[in-house]
Amino acid sequence: MRLRPAAAATVVLAVALWFVPEFADGFPIFYLLFAYNVFFWIAQASSWNLFTGSSGYFSFGQGAYYGVGVYTVGVLVAKRGWPLLPTFVVAGILGALLGLFIGLIVFRLRKLRGEIFALMTLAVAFVMGAVARVSSTIDGGQGIPLSGVELPQALGDFPAMIFRLGLIVATLAVLAAQVLHHSRLGWGLFAIRDDEAVAENLGVPTFRFKMMALGISAFLASLSGAVHSLQISYVTIEDVFNIRVPLLVILMSILGGTRHWMGPVVGALVVYTLNDRLNAAGLQDVSDLIVGGLLIFMIVAVKEGLYLRARQRPLRAAIGFAVGIGPPIVLGLTDSAITVMAYGLLGAVLLLMLPVTAPVEEAVPVHG
Amino acid sequence: MADLYFDDVTKRFGGVQALAGVSGQVEQGEIVGLVGPNGSGKSTLINLLSGYLEAEGGKITFGGEDITDRPAHRIIEMGIARTYQIPRPFGTMTALENVSLPLMFGTARHDPGRARSEAQQWLEFTGLERHADTPVAGLNLHQLKYLELARALATRPRLLFLDEVLSGLNPTEITQSIEMVRRIHADGITIVIVEHLVRVVTELATRIVVLDRGRVIAEGEPTTVMRDPEVVVAYLGTRGRHA
Amino acid sequence: MSLLSQAVVSGVLAGGLYAMMSLGMSLSWGVLKVINLAQFSFILLSAYFTYQLTVSLGIDPFLSILVCVPLFGLAGMALQWVFNRIRISEFESLLFTFGLFIILESLAATVWTADFRRLSTEQNPYVSESIWIGSIALPVPQLAAFVAAILVAFGVRHLLRNTHFGRAVRALAQDRDVAVAFGVDNGKVSMQLAGLAAGFSALAGVFIAMSRAIFPGLAVEWFGIVFSVVILGGLGSTLGTLIAAVIIGVVGAVATVWGGPPMAPLAVFLVLIATLLFRPEGILGAARRDT
Repeated sequence: MRLRPAAAATVVLAVALWFVPEFADGFPIFYLLFAYNVFFWIAQASSWNLFTGSSGYFSFGQGAYYGVGVYTVGVLVAKRGWPLLPTFVVAGILGALLGLFIGLIVFRLRKLRGEIFALMTLAVAFVMGAVARVSSTIDGGQGIPLSGVELPQALGDFPAMIFRLGLIVATLAVLAAQVLHHSRLGWGLFAIRDDEAVAENLGVPTFRFKMMALGISAFLASLSGAVHSLQISYVTIEDVFNIRVPLLVILMSILGGTRHWMGPVVGALVVYTLNDRLNAAGLQDVSDLIVGGLLIFMIVAVKEGLYLRARQRPLRAAIGFAVGIGPPIVLGLTDSAITVMAYGLLGAVLLLMLPVTAPVEEAVPVHG
Repeated sequence: MADLYFDDVTKRFGGVQALAGVSGQVEQGEIVGLVGPNGSGKSTLINLLSGYLEAEGGKITFGGEDITDRPAHRIIEMGIARTYQIPRPFGTMTALENVSLPLMFGTARHDPGRARSEAQQWLEFTGLERHADTPVAGLNLHQLKYLELARALATRPRLLFLDEVLSGLNPTEITQSIEMVRRIHADGITIVIVEHLVRVVTELATRIVVLDRGRVIAEGEPTTVMRDPEVVVAYLGTRGRHA
Repeated sequence: MSLLSQAVVSGVLAGGLYAMMSLGMSLSWGVLKVINLAQFSFILLSAYFTYQLTVSLGIDPFLSILVCVPLFGLAGMALQWVFNRIRISEFESLLFTFGLFIILESLAATVWTADFRRLSTEQNPYVSESIWIGSIALPVPQLAAFVAAILVAFGVRHLLRNTHFGRAVRALAQDRDVAVAFGVDNGKVSMQLAGLAAGFSALAGVFIAMSRAIFPGLAVEWFGIVFSVVILGGLGSTLGTLIAAVIIGVVGAVATVWGGPPMAPLAVFLVLIATLLFRPEGILGAARRDT
């Protein structure tokens, strides 16, 4: 398989980023951890969009896969002393099995598959929480301390290690999305998204393709969750199986755009940065409000997402970014490069959200 | 022989008996016209024979194989394709992408790149090559119908169902479409054409089957059938005049 | 054994509440083709309003019904008006109302904080009162909810079958375009139905405030229950919703007795999976639907 330019660029970028921790001595550790979190959300959003963006089957269940990932590490490593790397793989597989289980039940239905899939995934995360609570092998309501877990030394100290692990998973997720986008599987899913019955009639093996994509998506989501567990010191059911992960992942992909694999990447960067800065400023309550509001706004007004919008109007994005970072830099409002970037991103986002007069606007592919 | 046989096929929708035991055959090389007033079950029959819906009763065989319960994506592999009464293109794709899609599946199973290049020739066959990169939202009805055709032809069918492919077109477009159908038939594809325009069907078809309220009420050579009193009543009883 | 009987009875009563919570969603989805996650917000906010009215004004919590139901009924109508204006698809409605749900939950957390809010026995004397049948207790709030649910369910059934409005609703549910062609005012009827659905949710919220402590994250616990009830009961079927709700209520209660509170969502989920596998059209089957 020829390596496409985008995939090659991704790999090159990943390799380059791999060496960043070597030069990080002068910088606060905070930047490495910030970057790790961006990688985490890129992995989550990309894995989510890999299935939902392509097939049009809306999943609210990202939290379930994430939770499976975290708890697999919690149970196997913290409680039973398994080594990390095999546990990561097992976590991915368990996540995939969960996804396939849901698919097996829902994809065989005749009617309302899309809607039932969505609602089922909405319910499943909380059921997983209940399962964890009920079973004392898993959690039993006690939670699991993870601070004692032995970390691999080969990747450097903790910040470097987590940065690199996050980088690997994010790269895998983005590469998977890219490969899918140009493959028969991807095209089959796009056809399913547009009109499943017609797709089936033209030879697309709809059940098989949906299962494959769901499995891959769930595997990556769980894997990412397993890695993420390393920076949680104490795992509790409430912290893991809640609405936050699915909500943010959905917003990131919708904001960035579900029709292109770059959408979730852009969305993850923007949402995480803004969210992080709002929390740092003590405005957590506002952030949920903004998330909900943004979601509604994007569905109604910017259906194709900000990435494709930025490609349509690159000048706007550039001007918005420049206008955003201008005042903070010139007026010396803040020391943090991240805050400056946040202002820049905010500027770009706001400007891109203004209405465009487009010749032929394609509808957002979110239908069952 | 790629012959289609259907025997005593039935289908209900809730309280409505759409097909009440329909039997017939389509022999290789024919152009069979399927006519009947609104609600007679023409589209339902096509839906069943092309695998889009499942029959409740009866049996369907094609080329000697029983395809009654076969899923749609297997039926396409056997060489049965169809167009839709109201065109159903893939809404977020371009014309070329629409036609490439079936080439990635069915019997061809090309990779996306090769599918694209082969799709070009089908667009050319239907005269749409200039619109290859136009998103479907930018195509008019006539072009969408031709796109449907190109997409169905790309699957290299042996048997093609055309469901009201002429409805909504103006006289020039109709003449062009009839020519298109003749060319497709000349390429060796068996055709079943569902049409309201009786004049056109009598011109094109070698044999006509008339449905009314889920049953076959007449069958045979076009001009004879259309003069059959039962057929006349079925039509004039529910329709004012032909388009 | 008496523990089990008590559980079954509690489950039946809980089923009444579940039915009220689910009826709005079932009608909304079945008729309006809108999956309205904001219904959960209506239930939650109505519960909070009930709490606040009782605490601030010292009134009988039952009286909150007079405020909450019309208020949220109007909110439901307004939301449907927006949906009609922007011509929302079934799927976009899911996302849209999800965003709305997040906003409203966040507002509730801002106003009332994440603390548990519970009406004291002074403010809500009903919470400690029960009607006894032998050794089985029927707590007043749950009993009232159950009775109200039965009345509402049969009321709606009557409405759908015997009134002009009901016929319009059923026509829209079967085929919107044809109904409109025959003169049904989709805008008006859909708004009225949406208002009704929201009103039911608000009613459920009042009873919830009278039965238990509330907190912002509570709404999310209801997803599984309501969804299971809607599917098991069959979309758009009032009788089905009632029966399914009672079944789910009993299943949950018995599971709790058997394995503790966390078992309940698990058991309900298993019922859901079984339904989807074996009887996806709902417990009464497609033929017995009201819409």
